[in-house]
Amino acid sequence: MKLAFQLAYKNLIGAGLRTWLNVAVLSFCFVIIIFFNGMMDGWNEQAKRDTIAWEYGNGHVLNDKYDPFDPFSLQDGHGQIPADAAHLTPILIQQGTIYPDGRMVSVALKGIDASQTSLELPTQALRESDAEIPAIIGTRMAASNKLEKGAEVLLRWRDKNGTFDAANITIVDIFENNVGSTDNGQVWISIEDLWKMTGMTGEATLMVAGKEYVHKELEGWHFESQKALLSDIDKIISTKKASSGVLYMLLLAIALLAIFDTQVLSIFRRQKEIGTYVSLGMTRRQVVGLFTVEGAMYSIFAMVVGCIYGIPLFIYLAKTGIAMPQASQDMGVALAEKIFPVYGIQLVIGTIILVVIAATIVSFMPARKIAKMDPVAALKGKLQ
Amino acid sequence: MDTQPIISLSDVSKRFPVGDGEFTALKNINLSFQKAEFAGLVGPSGSGKTTLLNIIGSLDSPSEGKAVVMGKSISALSHRESALLRNHHIGFIFQIYNLLPVYTVFENVEFALLLQNRSADERKKAVMEALDWVGLSSMAHKRPDKLSGGEGQRVAIARAMVKRPAILLADEPTANLDAENAHIVLKMMKKLNKELDTTFLFSTHDEKVMKYLDRIVHLRDGKVEEDEIITTQQAAS
Ligand SMILES: Nc1ncnc2c1ncn2[C@@H]1O[C@H](COP(=O)(O)OP(=O)(O)O)[C@@H](O)[C@H]1O
Ligand SMILES: [Mg+2]
Repeated sequence: MKLAFQLAYKNLIGAGLRTWLNVAVLSFCFVIIIFFNGMMDGWNEQAKRDTIAWEYGNGHVLNDKYDPFDPFSLQDGHGQIPADAAHLTPILIQQGTIYPDGRMVSVALKGIDASQTSLELPTQALRESDAEIPAIIGTRMAASNKLEKGAEVLLRWRDKNGTFDAANITIVDIFENNVGSTDNGQVWISIEDLWKMTGMTGEATLMVAGKEYVHKELEGWHFESQKALLSDIDKIISTKKASSGVLYMLLLAIALLAIFDTQVLSIFRRQKEIGTYVSLGMTRRQVVGLFTVEGAMYSIFAMVVGCIYGIPLFIYLAKTGIAMPQASQDMGVALAEKIFPVYGIQLVIGTIILVVIAATIVSFMPARKIAKMDPVAALKGKLQ
Repeated sequence: MDTQPIISLSDVSKRFPVGDGEFTALKNINLSFQKAEFAGLVGPSGSGKTTLLNIIGSLDSPSEGKAVVMGKSISALSHRESALLRNHHIGFIFQIYNLLPVYTVFENVEFALLLQNRSADERKKAVMEALDWVGLSSMAHKRPDKLSGGEGQRVAIARAMVKRPAILLADEPTANLDAENAHIVLKMMKKLNKELDTTFLFSTHDEKVMKYLDRIVHLRDGKVEEDEIITTQQAAS
């Protein structure tokens, strides 16, 4: 085996340009696969971090009648905040409509405890303002409705009896964040204002757990842990990984095809060499092994070459981040303007194993033919 | 010379499938060669010389009859056993040298020893000695494409002889050489034959080669036509 490596090494170096072409394509595969996955992992981490900071906190305590995936459940999905709800930030959600520039826009009207610190929402702006109904919105919401800081806009909502009411709200702050679900179509006001507006005093739809929160059973409410909430992000990211996986699998397939092709060609062109190996005392199986190792060695060379340009690139990207296009910011998962890729050891080792095994297999397949070669015909170079 | 022959062929025939039928390349060959012979298979093109050498070299096996080389029946050998036989005991020299292009002269000669798992020191010593036999010590680090034809064939001789095989099979070794180089190469082989007691078996239709042979087996249409022992006096001339 060691001999096969020695000989394969010499043969590859000796083959010159052809070797380096294969190595270049394959190393590009390594780098792209690691780059993509590193970006996804970085995104995943960032999305989780941001979503925890802006939305999930340490978990949510939800009213039993509220289903976050069913907007109609907002109607009934609320209840009195339990008396012993320590370290919980209540949020009451109601549907409303705003009329910016005379257009009609449905919004989720979210009342939140203005003195909360569990989430990064700048709710203190709600306390500090002396507007009638101060409200804060995210940059996306502001942009899509052309609302600026200080703008007033008409809001219409229903009170607890279903009667419509309307008033002007004042945008006192526009916050920047990466979490679409606290931004798109959301208007945040003080929960006390919302209580007054709807007559649902003391009620909440959900409560965000703070750091010190310890879960205990609350009648009519259930707890979704931070981990459970985040599993959705994991799911979305792994779906996205799979779809970008198609891309790099295609690239890998091209690289493997190049190796396969080289193998087929070189087995054909190197018949005399194969015959010579046999005449010098190699078994045909050893020759198969040699050719397989040669093919597999492309991936090892590629790894080394990939490291040479990949490592500095990855370090640079992990430091400076990758700017994301504006258009992709509404993907349902928190997406920052810049993603800082994360390159885990698992990712790197996994990629190496994948590529090395794949290269070995595509090298072995054509090389098997050697085992059936007639050495005499091979020496004459007469095989088709 | 009346010990067990190193090569013995009894009733060896070889048939190749051709189209729907068969072509008989060798017919009932009965021959034996003793240790340290310097013999040649001589005959026109297509007479079966290469086929016979390939069978003796265990690259091929007889369709009928028995070929026994160094006490082993060729047809009975496994792939691994025949590879071992070639690696340790049989050297090949081809018409077109068949040097491995990406290896240096040294590495080409070293190859068989690598397969034998010999130590680096041992290999180096043996390779340099073999290159010395053929007068190419100074070319050890050249690549085959930098060599002249005569030098190429000398490297091939060193590669075949480095393992000190019992048998050396040379298939038209001078066919690609000019007269001067042919004589150089033949003298080297004759010298190695004397010094190392290696059995040399040539295939040739080159008059120059025949002058050096101690025994000429004439083949025609796959049959032995004549088995001619050349007296020492004649051969030396
Ligand atoms: N694999 C093969 N298939 C069919 N015919 C073959 C094969 N090998 C050799 N022959 C035929 O056998 C005969 C002897 O060939 P060979 O031993 O190469 O002759 P020589 O070396 O004396 O020129 C030739 O007629 C050749 O065409
Ligand atoms: Mg021939």
